[in-house]
Amino acid sequence: MAADEEFKQEVLRLAGPEVLTCIQCGTCSASCPTAHLMKPSIRRLVKHCLEGKKEEALRNETIWLCTSCQLCTVRCPRGIRPKAVVTALKELAEREKIKGKDQAYEELFQRQIKDYGRIAEILLSGEFMFVFPQGALQSMELGLEMAPKGKIKLAVEKIRGRDEVRRIMEELGKG
Amino acid sequence: MKLAYYPGCVSRSTGKEMDVSTRIVCAALGIALQELEDWNCCGATHVPSELVSVGLAARNLAQTDLPIMTSCSICYSNLRSAALTMEDPQVRAKVNAVLTKKYSGAQIRHALDVILEVLEKNDELITVPLKDLKVAPYYGCLLTRPRGGIDQPEFPTILEKLIKTLAAEPLDFRLKTFCCGGPIFMPQEQAAEDIAFLILKEAKKAGAEVIVTVCPLCHLMLDAKQKALEQRYGEKIGIPVLYVTQLVGIALGLNPDELGLEMNAVSPMPVVEKVYEKMAEEA
Repeated sequence: MAADEEFKQEVLRLAGPEVLTCIQCGTCSASCPTAHLMKPSIRRLVKHCLEGKKEEALRNETIWLCTSCQLCTVRCPRGIRPKAVVTALKELAEREKIKGKDQAYEELFQRQIKDYGRIAEILLSGEFMFVFPQGALQSMELGLEMAPKGKIKLAVEKIRGRDEVRRIMEELGKG
Repeated sequence: MKLAYYPGCVSRSTGKEMDVSTRIVCAALGIALQELEDWNCCGATHVPSELVSVGLAARNLAQTDLPIMTSCSICYSNLRSAALTMEDPQVRAKVNAVLTKKYSGAQIRHALDVILEVLEKNDELITVPLKDLKVAPYYGCLLTRPRGGIDQPEFPTILEKLIKTLAAEPLDFRLKTFCCGGPIFMPQEQAAEDIAFLILKEAKKAGAEVIVTVCPLCHLMLDAKQKALEQRYGEKIGIPVLYVTQLVGIALGLNPDELGLEMNAVSPMPVVEKVYEKMAEEA
């Protein structure tokens, strides 16, 4: 497939032009706590972006295995932020309407910020159960652990500045 | 000392003991906290647009002229990243255009660094020295990332310094800055659990009697999930995990219920008893 130059330029705009200076040394992959599960590796993901391979870069599990720990970013000898590349790809996946359980989780998280201004964790895990029933066991385990300790709060706190928060997300979300 | 306090969303629920212990320890140390007016979520690690993430954090930073303190490493990292990004005049103009109160600079501090500063000058406040207690210092990832914050990102030592100030023994903990997997634990359960268990196993190998954390997500992965992880991986760990503010609180002689110790999944009470027994022995 032909290189998608537009896609490449959009990644560079979001993640920074320094991505062009990548020497494919693999320090990012070697630093990543979930590297053993990633296919493609984070190093190869950067390569896909630079080669304009949009499909390969967007449709994979790698971007959803990133824990945002930033060790790649702290260590990159070229000053690239591989984590920002992942973040850019998540944003582009959202624009392309690529759906999945991981993307759904982020969407629920952001919707809560938009609606309430804060995260209500218990409601969030409840909502996520509908999207991904296989995750219910883990949520119930945690619930059983935390409920007797008074750490499960069902009420939702809404901030007064919700309109401002919504404006931040909508206006700045345009890029 | 007077600071604005940013509790973060987990303070209301799964990280309640972090909030409770932060407030009481600061009061005991003479640090006056003023909760930030109408604060909003910092976006954690789930907002893909960097600009939105900066905007969300900046709205919080614009609410006060005081330095802002938080106990959560994720909030700390996000607030700090936003302040760094807002140094770019173009970004600042764009973000300020949508903010009601405009951002004009901020100082962001983690509770760890504030508490250590006060304790170093007032060590007479440590009435229950944590003698011989073997503590695994667990930094997790975001306390020191991005660069330029509380300590260097590769080999930070600030937690060890605090542990020593409390008269406890900081262990050489190889995975101290390794991510706990927390940010992806909902949709990517297996991947997150693998790394969390690796950290717990390493702490056990190092001989830890307690693990100390500075982040509510690390705490959830290592404490609230510990029993489930033991069952899944077929190995007993049984190490209590304390927030740094809880550990400090014990050394300040505060009561377990004031520090929310009963909210921890793995009971830290044996540790508290050991510390008091040791003190009685030496008296």
